[in-house]
Amino acid sequence: MIKEYFKISVKSLRTRPVRSWLTILGIVIGVFLIVSIVSLGEGIKTTIMKQLKMMGGDLIMVMPGEMSNMITSMAGGLKLSNEDIKAIEKADGVDVVVPTKYMAETMKYGGEKKLVFLYGIPFKNIDVFQSQVGWSLQEGRWPLPGKNELIVGNLVPEEVFPGMRIETMATISGRDFKVVGILKSLGSKQDDQQIGIDLEIYEKITGEREGAAFVMATIKNGYNADQVAENIKNKLEETRKKRKGEDASPFSVITSEKITGIVGSVMGIIQLAVFAFASIGIIVGGIGIMNTMYTSVHERTREIGILKAIGATNRNITSLFLVESGIIGLIGGVGGTGLGILIAKILEYYGQLHPLFYIEASVSPFIILFGLGFSFLVGCIAGFLPARQASKLKPVDALRYE
Amino acid sequence: MEKTLIKLENIWKVYQLGKVELEILKGVSLQVSLGDFVALMGPSGSGKSTLLHVIGCLDTPSRGNVFLEGQDLSKLSEDEQALIRGKKIGFIFQQFNLLHNLNALENVMLPMIFQGISEVQRKEKAKELLESVGLGDRIMHKPSELSGGEQQRIAIARALANNPEIIVADEPTGNLDSKTGKKIMEILIDLHQNKKKTLVIVTHDPTVASYAHSLVNMKDGQIVSNHNTGKEYTWKENV
Repeated sequence: MIKEYFKISVKSLRTRPVRSWLTILGIVIGVFLIVSIVSLGEGIKTTIMKQLKMMGGDLIMVMPGEMSNMITSMAGGLKLSNEDIKAIEKADGVDVVVPTKYMAETMKYGGEKKLVFLYGIPFKNIDVFQSQVGWSLQEGRWPLPGKNELIVGNLVPEEVFPGMRIETMATISGRDFKVVGILKSLGSKQDDQQIGIDLEIYEKITGEREGAAFVMATIKNGYNADQVAENIKNKLEETRKKRKGEDASPFSVITSEKITGIVGSVMGIIQLAVFAFASIGIIVGGIGIMNTMYTSVHERTREIGILKAIGATNRNITSLFLVESGIIGLIGGVGGTGLGILIAKILEYYGQLHPLFYIEASVSPFIILFGLGFSFLVGCIAGFLPARQASKLKPVDALRYE
Repeated sequence: MEKTLIKLENIWKVYQLGKVELEILKGVSLQVSLGDFVALMGPSGSGKSTLLHVIGCLDTPSRGNVFLEGQDLSKLSEDEQALIRGKKIGFIFQQFNLLHNLNALENVMLPMIFQGISEVQRKEKAKELLESVGLGDRIMHKPSELSGGEQQRIAIARALANNPEIIVADEPTGNLDSKTGKKIMEILIDLHQNKKKTLVIVTHDPTVASYAHSLVNMKDGQIVSNHNTGKEYTWKENV
């Protein structure tokens, strides 16, 4: 029976090709939006999670400012003091403390002068970056502590100073540095454009001897990350109490596990919101189907009368129109899913060619099934009221309709 | 004793047009026997088409009872009525009323779909019927590619699809020239004589009417005369 309905429906859709395709297009756009946005969103989430996974589970980050407005406090130049760093070192379970400082600085290379993002880290602790942050070399060697040596992100020779090679010289604040190593991509454009020097030298050339932008701490064997984070928090609060009267700046202590959790849930919320908005696209498409189906019922009143005269029951008529609107929904779903995957893959390909944004399209079977199922369902729901109206027509009235 | 197939008892059809009541049928009673050939005649607006729709179960009367083989149709649900239309009644309309996006074969197969007949059987039966009305070579043509006479022959084949007992025709030759109309009537009379179908035809054409067993004349929603002509000759004999 369904097979026959299907044949009749396809025939009647083909007698009004323009209207049928326009209605299908409405669904295609909605499904395409959902599939491409959700695939890309899922891909971005996977990429970020991968970056976070590079960070070892045993790392604790201490940052100035509240966790809730991390970005404003970092941009506002809040810092941890030297006293804070000492307090962190004293906390029970802390192994190595690695402070990081950064600022924008002019660098000269090959006759070109550019403002670069310069950071200072203690090169003697560079193993922490290797083991806990996931740094590895693309070219050259690791820089040595106390030497005028540079380690650069992989985008520096590609975009900042095109053609930069290792074992060549650059100048920062009148001091000459040798480029010794190029890092493999860390997964974000910003990170991969940075230039690093030894912390001691950084302090000398910039005059910044006080504090740090943030501090990383590793944990001694046998200690639990959450416990050590708690110890650091207590120590920092103690030092702040001693300095009564002075403005005690806030701080945040987080473990890498926690960051992963926070980012995961933030991404989840964003994805959910995007998903909800894209769903509205399909619903708008559904309203398009309903409109088309009402017009169709109106136009085919006489046809409905004929079908009833030759023995079609109300249920037959309802099914016929439901199948028709379902087909519109399903074709739209197939088209939209295909187009969505295609666009997501094109963006991914583009992203890999030009590392402007590391984007990955993660097309899950769930999203494909959802795209197809939801559009078919919307088609059926949108067709239900028109179909019922068609089935309720009295045969003689429908036949008399001109 | 002839078996009564259709029995109408005091049928009223009243339309409410604003505050005015429009009485189309005013207490019509009629019996149609199995194998009968009834011609309904009368001026426009006399209610003959409405009466035909009531007989064909396409319309329900405002008052009165319609019995088909002793079963009261007015007591049936819409779907049960649909089933009766599909199984026992074949319709032929003045406007042919074919589905334009389907070809001749598909149009004839359509009534069988609703009876749940398999595709192979449907196709076989539809081909057979189209051949019997002389359209065996045009089964893949769409109605728009065929003449009026050919379209009406498809409609006849469609009406016969489920092998109904009654053929109900509303001015079947009304849209055709006299020569084509005659051919259509030949087919209908053949159905009556050789296939023993019961025929109820609404017509303006006295020649068509002259071949009926019963001539029912209507005026203003009432039957003014109903006489058995006693005739039992064929169209061909008359020519």
